[in-house]
Amino acid sequence: MANTKMVKEQKPQMSTIKGRLSWLWSEYSVIIAFIIIFIAASVLSPRFLDMNNQLNILMQVSIIGIVALGMTIVMLSGGIDLSVGSVLVLVGVVTVLALNATGSIWIALLTAFIVGSFAGFLNGVMVAKGRIASFIATLGMMAAARSIALYIAEGGSISGEVSGFTAIANNNLWIFDYPILIFLIMTILVYILMHKTRFGRHVYAIGSNEKAALLSAIRVDRIKIGVYSLAGLLVSIAAIIETSRLNSISSSSSGVQYELDAIAAVIIGGTRMTGGRGKIIGTFFGVLILGILNNMMNLMNVSPHLQGFVKGLIIIIAVVFQKRE
Amino acid sequence: MTKSPFMTMNNIDKSFNGVSVLKKVTFHVAQGEIHALLGENGAGKSTLMNILGGVHPFDNGSIQINGEEVKITNPRAAQEYGISFIHQELNVVSDLRVYENMFLGSEIRTRYGFLKVDEMCQKTNEILAKLGVDIDPKEYVRNLETSYKQLIEISKALLHKSKLIIMDEPTTSLAEHEVKRLFGLMNNLKQSGVSIIYISHKLKEIKEVCDRYTVLRDGELVGNGSMEEENLDTITKLMVGKSISQERLIQDHTFGSEVLEVNNLSSPGCFSNISFTLKKGEIAGFTGLAGDGRTELFESLFGYRKTYTGEIKINNQLIKIDHPRKAVKAGLGLVPKDRKENAIIKDLSVIHNMSLSSIGHFERVGFIQDKLEKERFQYYKEKLNIKVHNPRITIDKLSGGNQQKVIIAKWLEVDTDIIIFDNPTQGIDIGAKQEIYHQIVSLAEQGKAVIILSSEAPEILKICHQIYVMFQGEITARFKGEEVTEDEIMSYATGSKREAK
Ligand SMILES: Nc1ncnc2c1ncn2[C@@H]1O[C@H](COP(=O)(O)OP(=O)(O)OP(=O)(O)O)[C@@H](O)[C@H]1O
Ligand SMILES: [Mg+2]
Repeated sequence: MANTKMVKEQKPQMSTIKGRLSWLWSEYSVIIAFIIIFIAASVLSPRFLDMNNQLNILMQVSIIGIVALGMTIVMLSGGIDLSVGSVLVLVGVVTVLALNATGSIWIALLTAFIVGSFAGFLNGVMVAKGRIASFIATLGMMAAARSIALYIAEGGSISGEVSGFTAIANNNLWIFDYPILIFLIMTILVYILMHKTRFGRHVYAIGSNEKAALLSAIRVDRIKIGVYSLAGLLVSIAAIIETSRLNSISSSSSGVQYELDAIAAVIIGGTRMTGGRGKIIGTFFGVLILGILNNMMNLMNVSPHLQGFVKGLIIIIAVVFQKRE
Repeated sequence: MTKSPFMTMNNIDKSFNGVSVLKKVTFHVAQGEIHALLGENGAGKSTLMNILGGVHPFDNGSIQINGEEVKITNPRAAQEYGISFIHQELNVVSDLRVYENMFLGSEIRTRYGFLKVDEMCQKTNEILAKLGVDIDPKEYVRNLETSYKQLIEISKALLHKSKLIIMDEPTTSLAEHEVKRLFGLMNNLKQSGVSIIYISHKLKEIKEVCDRYTVLRDGELVGNGSMEEENLDTITKLMVGKSISQERLIQDHTFGSEVLEVNNLSSPGCFSNISFTLKKGEIAGFTGLAGDGRTELFESLFGYRKTYTGEIKINNQLIKIDHPRKAVKAGLGLVPKDRKENAIIKDLSVIHNMSLSSIGHFERVGFIQDKLEKERFQYYKEKLNIKVHNPRITIDKLSGGNQQKVIIAKWLEVDTDIIIFDNPTQGIDIGAKQEIYHQIVSLAEQGKAVIILSSEAPEILKICHQIYVMFQGEITARFKGEEVTEDEIMSYATGSKREAK
């Protein structure tokens, strides 16, 4: 009797290790992938590990990173937001106008927040109340916002005329440039929002089973509008950084394909396209992976024309790995 | 009866993430028998069948069909060995038509690859007719009652010429007469040499239709035998370790004030002229056949459906409920039926499913406190005997019955004054069922008003003070709980009798 008991207790033990490993992989595959890519990069290029290069990578990804945080929330809710790049430009253009007209940085910032979240709000209303598929609704917004930006700026760039505005993106604290800090802080805030508050819980529920969420007495429409508005707000923060960095914004070439980079980061980070599943931490590392890839390709002098190919490949590999699970 | 064993599973071991779920289970099914697979929620029945059906791989053991060892690595392979599987949770595709669902993956095509729609519709009709179902094969499944969805699921398995049919709780949404027809069909299949594995928590059904039984407990084989030799009590004891009484659970006590009044509620095509009242401490049961409109009625009351006329009063206040949120605010809770579709958030953990509708109970200054949630879950886990190894895993990893218990816990936690249970014991084992009935009765004793929707007359008879029978969207009879029999309920539910109004 004692003997059989021994055997029984050992058996689960063995499979526990195997189980643990597969759990670790399924929960943290993006982090593991990040570590692998990081090590590969440091072997391939000696300059990669340079502190300056590291900070440079963080700086490069901060804008897309902030946009991708918003994209994660939208995708968790079961939607998608194609309008982020265009809204970013629109916010940039209007912000510079407000800045030049009033001379006040604070009013400029406020304007940015309002324009960004209002564009998001409109997306949300179309999706939640109008029952338009998010792909279509935000595609419309993408075209419309870009067009308004082009119209306002007459197709060109507009530059800030108030000194001090550039400080936002170009100053630093110790070794960290402000955009890096803003990205890190936003990541933490969004993490808390999604994992520690009821808003986050409701977003996951809606993305996973909308009907059950509604029958659980969740205000589905409101949450959805909130999701898109929040994504818009995050876009406006990204827009401020983008505009402040060069003290100008180009209505035709800024923000182009940002939606693709953001979606790529979210997907690499393990968020499911159909919603309900994914993590903010995943997106954070997804963004870093994209950043390292870009950086490596530059360090190794890969033709810029081929860089899109490599990125595309990585995205597809990431999705294939997710499917396996 | 000594028939050759058609299918044998030998010493099957299976664990999920290090938790052992099946331990050296051996299971035989003879040719042409209906074999009951029994056990508590989480005993491992569905897992064993998922292994046989090629859904999950096993860790150790072997499977033999007709004496030959087979490797069933995916559901297609199972089908090739002549095994069909009716899953515990519905798998119909709502956006497809009935016949498209029936032939999903095995469409009949012409030589040039075009679909033979007429032929598929005709075959669909034939099979559905055998089950006594009258629906248009071209109807979209999303427009159908759950019981029809379940019948489609069953028909789909019957479509293939199978040698072994696995039925994992096929009758959870069916009414008595539908079950009768299914049994007729099963007996015909049996005569023609088909074996059936039948999983159910309804002992009456098992007694009626099964030849042999196998009982699992905590993933171990604890007994098997022939149905005739045993009485149900022995089997019950094997399953849950105690016997279960069939008696009515409620005493009549004096009710409190009126909390709910419904006047002339109508919704075209669903229900009409519904009027009733409900008092504090009262348990009212609504029963009837599929399509009687009771689910739609209470979904309307709960604000999920908005197109109805008539008035609803809660605590004598006229109220217009157009969103479930408002219903909860007004003191109305609804445990919906069909958990997979209406209640389970499959990507959230077990704990988070439990706390979803009462998240305010777990917040401090706007932040959810994991610890409070966990403690509360622990309370329900013990109270409802929820079997879960680690409550942080997603809820879809739980056995069907245990998922249902979590959903009940979720609404007990919301703690509304009026609580509506739609088919609350769907897939719950007999021991736990009893526990849930006691819970419901004690809710009433605390002064809550309870409404129970169920197609199982015995369930309604057991715990309701007031019984309403519905037929085609109307209330056709109303009884005091103790003064009516199952047969009488049936005759009103089928429309063969109507109360003079
Ligand atoms: N995919 C999975 N991952 C982890 N654990 C699982 C998984 N599937 C089932 N289990 C566990 O295996 C055990 C047996 O589950 P199973 O579904 O076989 O029970 P069951 O006998 O069918 O119960 P019920 O009567 O409630 O349907 C449960 O404890 C369940 O939590
Ligand atoms: Mg089961």
